[in-house]
Amino acid sequence: MSMTKLTLQIDGRSIETESGRTILEVCKENDITILTMCHLKGITDVGACRLCLVEIEGVSKLMSACTTKVADKMIIRTSTEKIKRYQRITTELFAAERNHVCSVCIANGHCELQKLAYDVKMDHIRYPYLFPQCEVDTSHPLYVLDHNRCIVCTRCVRVCAEVEGAYNWDVMNRGTNVRIISDFNTPWGESITCSDCGKCVEACPTGALWPKAVVQGQLNKAPEFISDLIEKRKMKL
Amino acid sequence: MNSQELTTLYDKAKQKNAQYKHKICVCCGAGCISSGSEEVLKKIQEEITARGLENEVSAVPSGCMGPCNQGPLVKFLPDNTIYQKVDCKNIQYVVQRQLIDKKPIEDLLIFSDSREKPFLNADEDPFFKKQLKIALKDCGDINPEEIDDYLNIGGYSALDKVLFKMLPEEVIAEVKHSRMRGRGGAGYPTGFKWETVYKYVSAEKYVICNGDEGDPGAFMDRSVLEGNPHRVLEGMAIAGYAVGASQGYAYIRGEYPLAIKRIENAIKQAKKLRLLGNNILGTNFSFDVQVRIGAGAFVCGEETALIASIEGKRGTPSPRPPYPAESGLWGKPTLINNVETFAGIAPIINQGGEWYSEIGTPKSAGTKVFALAGKIKYSGLIEVPMGTTLRQIIFDIGGGMQDDGEFKAAQTGGPSGGCIPAEHLDVKMDYESLLSLGSIMGSGGLIVMDKSSDMVDVARFFMEFCMDESCGKCVPCRVGTKMMHDLLQKICTNHATKIDLDRLEELADYVKECSLCGLGTSAPNPLLSTLRHFREEYENRIRQFEELQP
Ligand SMILES: Cc1cc2nc3c(=O)[nH]c(=O)nc-3n(C[C@H](O)[C@H](O)[C@H](O)COP(=O)(O)O)c2cc1C
Ligand code: SF4
Ligand code: SF4
Ligand code: FES
Repeated sequence: MSMTKLTLQIDGRSIETESGRTILEVCKENDITILTMCHLKGITDVGACRLCLVEIEGVSKLMSACTTKVADKMIIRTSTEKIKRYQRITTELFAAERNHVCSVCIANGHCELQKLAYDVKMDHIRYPYLFPQCEVDTSHPLYVLDHNRCIVCTRCVRVCAEVEGAYNWDVMNRGTNVRIISDFNTPWGESITCSDCGKCVEACPTGALWPKAVVQGQLNKAPEFISDLIEKRKMKL
Repeated sequence: MNSQELTTLYDKAKQKNAQYKHKICVCCGAGCISSGSEEVLKKIQEEITARGLENEVSAVPSGCMGPCNQGPLVKFLPDNTIYQKVDCKNIQYVVQRQLIDKKPIEDLLIFSDSREKPFLNADEDPFFKKQLKIALKDCGDINPEEIDDYLNIGGYSALDKVLFKMLPEEVIAEVKHSRMRGRGGAGYPTGFKWETVYKYVSAEKYVICNGDEGDPGAFMDRSVLEGNPHRVLEGMAIAGYAVGASQGYAYIRGEYPLAIKRIENAIKQAKKLRLLGNNILGTNFSFDVQVRIGAGAFVCGEETALIASIEGKRGTPSPRPPYPAESGLWGKPTLINNVETFAGIAPIINQGGEWYSEIGTPKSAGTKVFALAGKIKYSGLIEVPMGTTLRQIIFDIGGGMQDDGEFKAAQTGGPSGGCIPAEHLDVKMDYESLLSLGSIMGSGGLIVMDKSSDMVDVARFFMEFCMDESCGKCVPCRVGTKMMHDLLQKICTNHATKIDLDRLEELADYVKECSLCGLGTSAPNPLLSTLRHFREEYENRIRQFEELQP
């Protein structure tokens, strides 16, 4: 696809860019903050967390910045009161859905959900906690999957399929019963597809996936490592 | 086979049918089958043979005739006399009186138990008289398992016409001219959709027929598929010719085994006569249809999820754009239309877009099939011109309220729709009018409620449905519908305060605005519309609880 130059306006700023990029990419290049969770640079965007929603003039729906391509003369607003209100609700729903108890979580202090809560200034949660009964899968020799902390962003699923090519992870069930599963819902340690590479662990934004060799509060993940890896592979080609 | 041979086929089918003086159609739609119509058909056939009438009278299974709760239904043609609740025990008597003595039994005629004088010709009964059937036109009159029956009424002549007399652009222009809008729910103009797919250049394109029909209480598409499968196939083939596709998929939900069986049988028959498959009617147009069976998820009716499901993936929606018209099945331009939409195509080609566009209202042309259910006297399937009022549907066609109850509200559009209160009984049933009342046309479910219905509970019921059917991909719908359901439950059990109602309204707005697909964005509709028209029912419950507090 040939690229054409185009001009658009984001939050009142006039910006020049090229066709074919997403609103999110253009915002990042121009230091405009967009909150994201299911997005991880390099892997396919799915528009699932709905944090990156923006207003586009002339479009009746809010659009996810991570999946929407820029167009010439688009007028985009990223931080209206309405959008901020919705981001806060999304964050609260994330927090209320499963059992996020930061003080005893391995990811405490290094968690993207925690950071999001600060970003949207979530001081309390207005919805009842659902306290679901969630499993912890410790069957893998190196890693743990704790469903209590999973926000179903599916970054692990996509990294495993698209970067490692192992297709260990998938999703099962519907609604709040969705679960990330290994192979056909067998214990992770018994997986015949997992290559033990640990990329899903690095990609995971929360304390849902973690290496056994780490103690509480010391977990520091590097999802950007995945993005760098993808970039480097592209360069080699 | 070429066009001329098609004419020969028509003649053969006509001849075959002409030998019979009478045709007996026994409704073998899913509703009548469940009340034993297959047994009735067998007994009638035996009776005909026993009387040595098999060369004069043919007895065949047919599709749905409409008044489903009066089944098993048996129709005698050409008199058009319908008997209701036919029992195997009185078949001898019915055949004797209707065919031999020519003295129809009034007490067994359709609606005889509720009308002072039932009609010998069913079409004169208000239930049928006020309807206008296009999609369902031949459903109760032909044997859906015999292609000859379809050919006998000029089946596949529209396909013949487009292949020999029209360019794809002309077909699209005709459909645009008809102003038909998609019957799958959103009402997108069909001709424009076809044109968009046509314009994308690609060696491969696909046509998909959406027969997932997951709305609770809806069975319009099922009846069309069961009653006249060839009409749907003909519509798909015409669409394939118009947009430049040679492969079609009929995606039908697994809970419809009869529809699946009949469409598969129809595909086989059409292929045998070269009305589907390679070089249709001797032209260089080829079009094949394969059936794909849905596994029962409501969300798989959403077009992007349906496409993922056909591709063998988990059926979850993806953000649009890109729309399927640009990048659909296997990344190729794809036309996806509803069953009823395809069923309307052949009549438009045969009788012209102009004819179709004059039926209905200026913005909503044509007819719509509705599934009447709830506290209505005659429930079942009806087809009326767009713009028919709700009052006409319920009181003229549906015979009014059951047990002479008082009308309270009608729910349209299922879990994506809303409730219409009594003061809006004269609303015209078209896309815009329903939308302006906070409901939607949807696929055509219409549930009638009387004073005994609790509107908060209605909202809770549909929210529970959406919560269970949410695919779980996006946060607003996955967690939002659960939270809203729990709050509604709290109101229903009289445990909620004013703050809960505020939270509920805030969540409804959020889920509507932020969800990824139509399931989520429309999930708050039943709640919002009952809040709009029946707010006092919510507030009364809250007041009751708050008054109990110290
Ligand atoms: C949750 C959901 C369920 C749907 N279910 C159906 C369905 O069962 N049948 C259908 O034809 N369309 C359904 N649709 C609409 C389809 O996405 C699509 O718009 C339609 O098939 C297009 O056909 P039309 O243009 O002929 O209406 C559904 C949409 C949503 C959001
Ligand atoms: S395990 Fe982690 S990466 Fe995977 S879906 Fe859950 S939160 Fe996302
Ligand atoms: S709105 Fe509901 S059904 Fe649609 S993608 Fe989101 S979770 Fe899935
Ligand atoms: S980052 Fe765009 S929807 Fe999640």
